[in-house]
Amino acid sequence: MKKRYWRCYVCNDIHYGVAPPELCPTCKVLHAYVEISAEEARKFLGGGPDTALSKEDFRVALERFTVGNEFELNPDAGKVDLLLTGVFENENNHGFKYCPCRLRTKNWEEDLKLVCPCNFPIHETYKNVKDGECWCGLFVRRK
Amino acid sequence: MARLIMFHGRECPHCKKMMPLIEKLEQETPVRFEKLEVWHDEKNADLMRSFREAIAPKCGNQLRVPTFLNADTKDAACGEVDYDKLKDWALKQV
Repeated sequence: MKKRYWRCYVCNDIHYGVAPPELCPTCKVLHAYVEISAEEARKFLGGGPDTALSKEDFRVALERFTVGNEFELNPDAGKVDLLLTGVFENENNHGFKYCPCRLRTKNWEEDLKLVCPCNFPIHETYKNVKDGECWCGLFVRRK
Repeated sequence: MARLIMFHGRECPHCKKMMPLIEKLEQETPVRFEKLEVWHDEKNADLMRSFREAIAPKCGNQLRVPTFLNADTKDAACGEVDYDKLKDWALKQV
């Protein structure tokens, strides 16, 4: 299934996926998305507000992400800080917030699976493991 | 002596935890590891990638760090392991 770009004709939200959302999450208008080119999508996103994220901003974002999920950020703050340092180093050096505990393969599709947070609930270190955690230990199963 | 490599990442907590165990192992036995950092050294990263077929099946189909590799036999182990297990694996390689 090939992902494509979609634009809300009301509020200009951009969506990347195999299909557009039925309801625009921002303006709540139904059936508002029309397909656009990758180049057009990049122009919309590139002209948007500066949303640079500091390491602390990202930590807070990850904490928010865990709310309502069965996992939480590792209570070991030192470990979290080391991992987030690595994630940001990887973004600076290699373009994406890659997991510091797995090496990228240089295959675009495969390497997208390493971007933090990754889909770790399907991994052997987490799935059906009582004290499961993601590969790197940034996320742990909530007790 | 077999060529033993430890592939590690500078910001990987598992690697950080294993490093003192490797040092202890090297003090107690003739085992020696080449310690190659892979996230900040592209040459080391390419070397690790070149062993993908040997490493991935033992490491959840990933190029995980830390990975301990016998570059001659292609035997590999990865992740945090306790000292005795690491020692058993390493002594089998030399």
